[in-house]
Amino acid sequence: MTLAFVGGTHRTVPLALRERLAFSAEQAAEALRRFRDRFPGREVVLLSTCNRVELYAAGEEAAVPPPAEQLVSFLAECRGIEASVLASVLARESDEAVVRHLFSVASGLDSMVLGEPQIVAQVKQAWALAQRQETTGPLTGGMFQAALRTAKRVASETALGRERLSIPSVAVADFARGVFERFDDKRVLVLGAGKMAHETLRYLREAGARDIVVVNRTAARADRLAAGLGGRPGRFADLVAELAAADLVVSTTGASEPVVTADIFTRAEVAREGRPLVVLDLAVPRDFDPAIGMRPGVWLYSIDDLGAACEANRRSRQREMPAALAIVDEEARRFMGDLHHRSTTPVIEQLRAGWSETGDAELDRLFRRLPGLDDAARAEIRQAFERYAAKLLHSPLTSLRNESRSGPPHGLLDALKRLFDLKE
Amino acid sequence: MTAFISGISVVCFAASYLVALGCEASRPLFRSGVRGALLVGFAAAGFFAHTLFLAWRAATEPAVPLSSAFDWYLLAAWLLAGGYLWLLRANPRTQVGLFVLPVVLGLVGAAQLSSRAPFPQSPATQIWGAIHGSFNLAASVAVAGGAVAGLMWLIQATRLARKRTPARGLRLPSLELLASTTSRAGQVAAWTAAAGFISGLVLNAVNRRHGLLETVPWTDPVVLRMAMLVAWLVAAALAMRALARRPDAARVGAWLSLVSFAVLTASILWGVLGTTRHGVPPAHAAATNEAAP
Repeated sequence: MTLAFVGGTHRTVPLALRERLAFSAEQAAEALRRFRDRFPGREVVLLSTCNRVELYAAGEEAAVPPPAEQLVSFLAECRGIEASVLASVLARESDEAVVRHLFSVASGLDSMVLGEPQIVAQVKQAWALAQRQETTGPLTGGMFQAALRTAKRVASETALGRERLSIPSVAVADFARGVFERFDDKRVLVLGAGKMAHETLRYLREAGARDIVVVNRTAARADRLAAGLGGRPGRFADLVAELAAADLVVSTTGASEPVVTADIFTRAEVAREGRPLVVLDLAVPRDFDPAIGMRPGVWLYSIDDLGAACEANRRSRQREMPAALAIVDEEARRFMGDLHHRSTTPVIEQLRAGWSETGDAELDRLFRRLPGLDDAARAEIRQAFERYAAKLLHSPLTSLRNESRSGPPHGLLDALKRLFDLKE
Repeated sequence: MTAFISGISVVCFAASYLVALGCEASRPLFRSGVRGALLVGFAAAGFFAHTLFLAWRAATEPAVPLSSAFDWYLLAAWLLAGGYLWLLRANPRTQVGLFVLPVVLGLVGAAQLSSRAPFPQSPATQIWGAIHGSFNLAASVAVAGGAVAGLMWLIQATRLARKRTPARGLRLPSLELLASTTSRAGQVAAWTAAAGFISGLVLNAVNRRHGLLETVPWTDPVVLRMAMLVAWLVAAALAMRALARRPDAARVGAWLSLVSFAVLTASILWGVLGTTRHGVPPAHAAATNEAAP
C-alpha cells in the first residue's frame, strides 16, 4: 500500500460529530506536526471543511503509510473523540481508490452542492498548509497537483459548475441581468426585511447597484434595515412614488396579503413612463399580485419561479456527471500509471548503470588497441556506443511503461532482474 | 506581399466567417476549451482578409469602394463584421455571432451575385454618387443591425417571460442594450435613407445636366423601392419615438426593426429583379428600354 485515506463527509458523519471533528487552521497545523513526529518519513495532508474531514497519507517501501485503524485513532486523539465512535462513521480507502476520491472531491463531485467551486480553493489550502508543515513529498505532491489539474479540466470541459443553484444568484445573474445591462444607474427598492433580501442585495451590489431604498411598514425598522443593507430608508406611505422611481424591486415582507395590488401598481405605472421593472418577489405569501407580471415591461419572478429555475440548473448539473466522472477516471488512471512507473526507477537505473559500465570497459579496451585515434574520433565512437545502448533499452523500457498503466509491473521487473542479474 | 494580397478572394473571408459561425452554432451541442480561441481567430482572420480584399480593390480599381453593387454589398458586410468583432470583444460570453454572421454571409453571397462593373462616373457626379452610396450603405447597415438586435430582444424577452434560465450556448445581451440598439439603429436608418434618397435625386439632376447617365424616371423600380423604403423607415422611426414612453415600446421597436429588414430585403430583390435605368449609361439604357415589355 502506497496511499491511504480515512475521512468523513456530510453524507456519513452526523452534523454534531462533524462539528467536533472539524479542525481550525491552527489545529490542522498542530495535527500535521504531530503526525510527522509520530510517523516519520510518511507524507500527510489534512483536508478539513464544514462538510468533510479527510486525512490523506502516503509512503513507500520502508515507510508505508500507517494502517487505517491507526489513522482513525490519530484523528480521534487529535480532536479528543473516542476512536470507536469515529471508527464507525469514517470511510477508509487505499491506493487507486484514494486517488479517485481526491480527484472527485477537488472537482466538486462529492460536494453537498454538486460542482461547487469553493472546494478547489480548500484543497489548495490544505496542501499548502501541509507543505508549510513539511509533511508533503513526491507522492502527495504529485497526487494533489493531479487533483487540481483534474478539477480544472472538469470546470473547463463540462458545464458542471456553470449554472447557479441559489435563488438570489439565479434571480440576479439569470433574470435581472437579462433585463438590465448595468445596475449603477438603477434604483433598487427593498420591501420588507426577509433574510433573502440581504443575500440578493449582495449579488446586486456586486453587479454595481448603488442606489438602494428600503421601505418597511415601521419607520424605525426601515432605518435600521437601511443602515444594515447600505441603503437609505423610505416611507411606506410613499410606496406608490417609490414603485414609480424603482427599476428593480426585491420584496420579502411577512405580510399575509399582497402588499402591491394591481390597483397600487396601476397608479405607479403612469409615472414610470414605460421604464422596465424587474420584481423579485421572494415573499411567501407573495407581496405582488401575480396579475402585475402580465403587464408589458414588468418582469415579475416569484420564489417558486426562481426555485424552479434553480431545480432546472440542478438537473442540468446532474447531466454533466458522466462527462466529469470520465475525466476523473482518465486522470486517475494516468496518475496511477505514473505512480507504478515510479516503482520501476531503481531497476531501470541499475540496468542503465550496468550497461554503461560494460560499455565504458569495452571502449577503454578498444581505445587502448587503437592509440592513433584522435579525440573527435573517440567522441564519435563513444556517442555511437551510447546510442546503441539507448536503442537496445528502448523496447524493454517502453514495455515497462505500458505495463505500468494497468498496475505495478512486478512480472516484468522480476524478469529483468533475473535476465540481467540485477540486485534487489 | 502584393502577390499574397492579390490572391485573397471572397471565398477566403467567407469561409472564415462560416467557420466562426460554425463555432458559435456548436456551443449548445458540446463544450470545448479551444472553441473560443478558434471563434475569435477565424472571425478576426476573416475580417482581416476582408479588409485587405477591399483595400486591394480600392488601390487597383479606379472607382471603388462604392462604385459597383459588388463593392457596395462587400462594404456593408465588412461594416457588420467589424461591429460583430467589437461585440465579441465587449461581450465575449454572448452568442451575438449566431445572428450577425448569417447577415454578413448573406451580404457576401449577394455581392457574388451582383455586377462588378462600376457605375459610370464623371468628376461632376463623383461627389454626389459617393454621398448617395454612403448614405444608402449606412441606412442598410443600420437596418440590418437593428433587425439583428430586435430579433435577439424578442428571443431574450420570450426566455425571461417564460421564467427560464439561459439555454446552454445561447446567452444574449440584456434587453436594455438590445432595445437601445434597435431604437438608435431605427433612427439612423430612417434619416440616412432619407438623405440617400434626396442625394439620389440630386445625382439624377446632375446626370441629366451632364448627360453621362440616362435620367432615371420616377417610375423606375429603384426609385420606387427606395421611396417605399424611406417612407417605411421614417414612419417606423417616428412611431418608435412616439411610443418611447410606453411600456411595450421595446417590443414594438423590435417588431418594427424586423419589418424594416423585410422591407429592405424586398426592395433589394425588387431592384435586382426589375428593369432599371439606375446607374446605366445612355446606350445601355436605350437597349434596356427596347428589351422591356
